[in-house]
Amino acid sequence: MLAFLPQQQQEPLQGFDSLGQLPPAASTFAPDVDGLFYFCFWISVFFFFFIAGLLVYTTMQNRRKTETQPAASNVTHNTPLEVVWTLVPTIILMVIFAWGWKGNLDQSIAPGDALQYQAIAQKWNWSFQHPGQKGFTPGEFWVPLDRPVKFTTHSTDVLHSFYVPAFRAKRDVLPGRYQTVWFQATQEGSYPMLCAEYCGDEHSQMRAVVHVVTQEEFDKAPWNARPEDPIEWGEQLYNQYCTSCHRADNTGEIKAAPNLWAIWGKEEELEDGSRVPVDKDYIVESIRYPQAKIVKGFTPGANKYNAGAMTAFSSALIPDEGIDAIVQWLQTLKD
Amino acid sequence: MTTNVPVADVAIEEQPKENYLNCSKGFWSWAGTLDHKRIGVMYLIGTTMAFLTGGIFALGIRVQLWSPDGVMFTQETGLAGYNQMFTLHGVFMVFMFIIPAIPGALANFALPLMLGAKDVALPRLNLASFYLWLIGTGFAIYSILTGAVDTGWTFYTPYSIQTEQSVVSMGLAVFILGFSSIFTGMNFIVTCHKLRAPGQTWFRMPLFCWAIYATAILQVLATPVLGITVLMLAFEHLYHIGIFDPAYGGDPVLFQHFFWFYSHPAVYIMILPGMGVISEVVSVHARKPLFGYRLMAFSAISIAVISFIVWGHHMFTSGQSEFVMMAFSFLTFLVAIPTAIKEFSWVATIWKGSIALTAPMLYAMAFLVIFSIGGLTGIFLGALSTDIHLHDTYFVVAHFHAVMMGSTALAFFAGVHHWWPQIFGKMYNETLAKISACFTLVGFMVTFLPQFMMGSQGMPRRYATYLPEWQGYHQVSTIGAFILGTGFALMIGYLVHSLFAGKPARENYWGGATLDWKTATPPVHTNFDEDPVVTTDEIYDYSFLSEEKGKA
Repeated sequence: MLAFLPQQQQEPLQGFDSLGQLPPAASTFAPDVDGLFYFCFWISVFFFFFIAGLLVYTTMQNRRKTETQPAASNVTHNTPLEVVWTLVPTIILMVIFAWGWKGNLDQSIAPGDALQYQAIAQKWNWSFQHPGQKGFTPGEFWVPLDRPVKFTTHSTDVLHSFYVPAFRAKRDVLPGRYQTVWFQATQEGSYPMLCAEYCGDEHSQMRAVVHVVTQEEFDKAPWNARPEDPIEWGEQLYNQYCTSCHRADNTGEIKAAPNLWAIWGKEEELEDGSRVPVDKDYIVESIRYPQAKIVKGFTPGANKYNAGAMTAFSSALIPDEGIDAIVQWLQTLKD
Repeated sequence: MTTNVPVADVAIEEQPKENYLNCSKGFWSWAGTLDHKRIGVMYLIGTTMAFLTGGIFALGIRVQLWSPDGVMFTQETGLAGYNQMFTLHGVFMVFMFIIPAIPGALANFALPLMLGAKDVALPRLNLASFYLWLIGTGFAIYSILTGAVDTGWTFYTPYSIQTEQSVVSMGLAVFILGFSSIFTGMNFIVTCHKLRAPGQTWFRMPLFCWAIYATAILQVLATPVLGITVLMLAFEHLYHIGIFDPAYGGDPVLFQHFFWFYSHPAVYIMILPGMGVISEVVSVHARKPLFGYRLMAFSAISIAVISFIVWGHHMFTSGQSEFVMMAFSFLTFLVAIPTAIKEFSWVATIWKGSIALTAPMLYAMAFLVIFSIGGLTGIFLGALSTDIHLHDTYFVVAHFHAVMMGSTALAFFAGVHHWWPQIFGKMYNETLAKISACFTLVGFMVTFLPQFMMGSQGMPRRYATYLPEWQGYHQVSTIGAFILGTGFALMIGYLVHSLFAGKPARENYWGGATLDWKTATPPVHTNFDEDPVVTTDEIYDYSFLSEEKGKA
C-alpha cells in the first residue's frame, strides 16, 4: 500500500521514546496519554518486583529441608495488613481512573473551529475528503500543523477502525452510522494510519499515511495533485484501489478477482455461459456496479480467495475521468 | 527428595487394590459411566487434545509472523489462511479448552471428593455435559472441514454475516459447547448446596469449591446470552432478518454488547477456577493454611458479581457515550480490587511456609508471577485515555494471554500435576516436570513481553503482515512460542509415560489436609469407604504431618 509514496516516507514510525515503548507523540493529547501510560508502567514495575521479590525471598528462607518440616509461621489473619492491601490499591486505582477519564474527555470533544474532514473505509482501503475538496483522495491525507481537525467517518461494508498510533487516536468506523474522531497534530512528518478492527483478508494491508505539513504547504492543496499522464494516473488508481483483489501481470495467477493482464478487447465468459466483450462500457459497469456481470469462476465463495463480492466504487471515490485513465492504462497491458 | 510425605512405611502392595479405574472394564464402562472421576478423566483427555490442537494453530500464527510480509501466507497467495488460523486458535482454546478444562476435568474429579460426597448431585447431567462437549467439538471440526471461519473468535458483525456459511456450523458448535458449560455449572451449584459432608459448613469448604461455585453461577447466568447471540447470528447469516446487519436496518454494535455480556463474565469463568486451583496448591506445597480464607471466598463471589457489569470496557472505541465509558471504566477498576486481594493473599500464604519446590508449586509460582503481569497490565486497559491507544493492539493480546494462557492454563497444569497421583495412582518423572515448568515460565516471558512492547508502539492485532519496524519483536516472540511448545510437548511426554511406566504413588502423595487426599490413592469407586465428617474450622491443618514422624 505504501509503495506509491516517495522512498523517504516509507519508514514513518521511526523515533520511539527513550524506553522504546511508545511511538512519537505527535498530537496535543499524546503527552497526557503517555504520562498516564508511564505512571501505570512504573507502578506495575514496582508491584511486579515487589511480589516476585517476596516469593523469591521467602522461598530461599523457608525452603522445606526435611520431610516433616512444619511451616515457620501459621498466621492466617492480619487485619491491619489486609486493610492496607485493600486500601492502597483502591486509592491508586481511583487516581488512574480519574486521570484516564479526564484524558478521554479531551479526546472525545473536538474544538468548535476544527477543520472538517471525511473518511470512508471499505475493504481494504481508506479514502479521505479534505475541507473544500470535491471527491476523495485514496490512501493518504494532509493536515496542517497545530490546528484541530475532525473526521466524520463511515464504512461502506464491515467494521474498520481509524487508528493513528502517533496521535494516540482511535475510533471504530461503522457501516450505517457516522462516527467522529479528532486530533491536533504537533509535529511535522508522515505517520502511518492503520486499520485496527479486523475486517477480513487484507486487514493488515489496510494502511494509509497522514502528512502533517505547515499551513503554507497545506494551502497548496497537495491532495489535488495528480499525474498528468493518464496512463500513469490509471496505474496509480489501480495500485490504490484494486491490488488487494486483482493482479495485472502475465503470470496467469489470480487472487480473489480476475487477472487484468491483456483482457482489453477480448471476451470474458460469465457464469451463465454468455460472453461479453471487454470494452469501456464493461469496465465502467464493473467498477460502478460490480455485481451486474461476474466472470465465470469468481462468484463469491467460488474460489479459495474470495469470500465476498467486489465493493462498488462511486464517482466520489473514482471520478469518471479516473475510469478513463484506468481504461487507457488497461490498454497498455499486453504481451 | 525433600518433598516426600512420611508415609513411606506403608508398604505398596503387589496387587493393586480395587479403585475407580480398575473396578470395571470395557468401552461402555467408560463411555456410559456416571462416575464423576471417570468423566473427569475423559474431560482431561478431551480438553488436553483441544489444547494441543489450539497450540498447533498458535505455532502456525507465530511462524507466519516471522517475516513482515508473511511466511506461509502472503498477499500474492492470499492472507485468508492466516485469518482462519488465528480464529481456530481462539475458538479451540477458549471454548474447547480454557472454559471446560478446570471445571470439567479437575473440579469433576476433586470437587465431590473435597465435599466428602460419593458423586456429583446429578451424575447423568454430568455425562450429558461431556457428550455435549464432544458434539460441540464435532461441529467445530465439521466447520473447519467445510471451509473454516475467518471471523476471529469474537464473530463480530457485520463481517461474520457476510463471510462463508461455515460460520453457522461454528456458531452451532459454540451454542452446544455453551450448554455443556451450563450443565457443568448447574451440577456444581447443586452439589455444593446439597452434598457437603456432615459438619462441613460453607466456610469449611476448601477454597477451590468456592471458586468453582462462583464460576458455576457465572456459567449458568451468562452462557444463555451467548447461546441466544450465536443463534441470532446464525439466523441473520441465513435469513437476513436485520438484527445486526445495517444493510437490513440492524445495528452491528448491538452484537458486541450481547457478545461481551457473556464473554466478559466468561473471562472469569476461565480465571476463577484457576484461582481456586492455585489456592489449594500453594496451601499444600507451602504446608500452611490459606491466608485470609473468608476474604478470599468473598473476593471470588464479588469478582463473579462485578464481572457482569464491566462488559463495555471491550468497546471503548466503538462509539459508546462518554458517560457509559466512564461508568464501565470505574466498574472495571472496582473488579481489580478483589483480584489484588487474592494475589496478596497467595503470597502471604506462601510467606514463611514450609516451601517445597515441587512441580505443582513451580507451576503455581509461575502463575503468581504471570498473573501479576496480567493484572497490572489490565490497569493500562481499564484507564480510558490509554485504552484508546492500546485497544485492539498486541498489548491487549499479550494482556489476555497473561491471564488466560499464563494464568488459567498454568493453573490447570499446576492442578494436573497436583492431583495426578491421586487421579491415576501413578507418579510422573518429577525432574522432567520441574524442567517443563521452567520452560513454560521462560517461554511465556520470551513470547509475550515483546508483544507488550510492540503493542504499546501501535502494532494492531489480527495482522497477517506488518510494518518492518516490528520484525525484531515478532521474531523473539516466535522463538518464545517454540520454547513454550517444547515445554508442553515434554509435559505430555512424561505424563503419558507415567501412565504406563510410572511408579505407583503413595497415599496422600503431597500431604494434603482436605478431604480429596483423605481417601485411597486412587479413590475407590464410591470415593470413601466411610462417609467423612468435618469437625473443625481448621481445614488446612498440616500439623499431622509433623506429628506422625514423632510417633514413629
